[in-house]
Amino acid sequence: MPPAEPVLAAREVTRRFGHRRVLAGVSLELRPGDALLLVGPNGAGKTTLLRVLAGLLRAQGGRIERRGDVGMVSHSSMLYDALTARENLRFFARLHGGSSRQRVASLLEQMGLAGRADERVSTFSRGMTQRLAIARALLSDPEILLLDEPLTGLDDASSEQVLGVLGELRARGRALLIASHQLAELMGVVTAVGFLTQGELRAVEPIAGRDLGAITARYREVTGRG
Amino acid sequence: MGDGLRAAWAIAGKDLAIEWRTKTALVSSVAFAVLVLAVLYFARDPTAVGAVDVAPGALWVTFTFAAMIGLNRAFLLERENRALDGILLAPVSPRAVFFGKLAANLVFVGTVELVSLPLFVLFYDVPIVRGLPALLGVTAMATVAFVAVGTLLSSMVVRTRFAELMLPLLLLPFLVPPVVGAVQATARILAERPLSEVQGWLKLLAAFDIVFVTISTLLFEATLEE
Repeated sequence: MPPAEPVLAAREVTRRFGHRRVLAGVSLELRPGDALLLVGPNGAGKTTLLRVLAGLLRAQGGRIERRGDVGMVSHSSMLYDALTARENLRFFARLHGGSSRQRVASLLEQMGLAGRADERVSTFSRGMTQRLAIARALLSDPEILLLDEPLTGLDDASSEQVLGVLGELRARGRALLIASHQLAELMGVVTAVGFLTQGELRAVEPIAGRDLGAITARYREVTGRG
Repeated sequence: MGDGLRAAWAIAGKDLAIEWRTKTALVSSVAFAVLVLAVLYFARDPTAVGAVDVAPGALWVTFTFAAMIGLNRAFLLERENRALDGILLAPVSPRAVFFGKLAANLVFVGTVELVSLPLFVLFYDVPIVRGLPALLGVTAMATVAFVAVGTLLSSMVVRTRFAELMLPLLLLPFLVPPVVGAVQATARILAERPLSEVQGWLKLLAAFDIVFVTISTLLFEATLEE
């Protein structure tokens, strides 16, 4: 069976901020069921790449093709502190063309937030806010999910929950692109690892059959960092 | 209801729900309006200047500066947690975002004006009953013009470091034409002049509305780009 068509394809994508080159001709492809972990030192361009792929930032060169909805989880929650968890999800659901109470309720349940659904986001811990942000990103059941440091600030239980959801999404054929420094935690979810440094995607390699030590050694080799 | 209209409705409803819950801008704007009306009233020498001579200016200084507080807050809401990114990730046109924000701002400024008007009558004891429909018409027309530009500029300056300072500075040149028209029309209404004397100013205000709303709608998308 031929491989499925890519749901996300970036070709030679470039982006500058003023004179600073942040992305220097990045190319990558994501197919249904792919889960690519993007690693690289701070300032390598990971967040910019995710924002460009999501359409939040304009690429100044190259081409991006998306087949399907894009969901995104970033450093910021993209939520309104003064609204409750349920109100936030219902608002964003309306923007996506639906306001299914069932969909909102089921996402709150899935993220373990059903008991706090009618409390304001301003009262939530970092972990709860992050789980709600993931629920927001999943509202339209997107084919492509971009996640920027999805495990930051989560305790072990919350991390397990989020990893479980990501694994389930991948199994359902969703394409995931995750930028994170938490290689060890994400090893069980991702299918490949991409090494981004100085705005260049130096290599994309499958993760199957390799352990954390081998990936870390390869990271050092590619990026020149420890 | 079309998708764009539904999105605009959702955005306006969300903004008003947040304002209703927090009341931060509303309380500040109304308090500011009361303060300005009182200061201008007590600064006047009643033996030298008649109330009806200063009332139009006092009314429009109050309306415009009180509105500025609300306009400043319009996009600060979206900056918190980068919630605007969440909106832009949804399949929503920039035009729908603009009209949603504009509608919420108009409701907000209209509320401040409706609360300030009885206080204005109380302080200045001017005859407004006969000219009330015309006064409300003038107020609505001038408000649409400066709130449209204010919404555009609020979106433009929100990413700058001194957003609260920049908005009044940038808005001022656009504020002058409709406010001059509104002051002139209000002066004639309060002096109980025939409506025919106001019509020219109403036409001018209508022209400002058309031009400002059209230009703001067309330029809004550019303010969303980083």
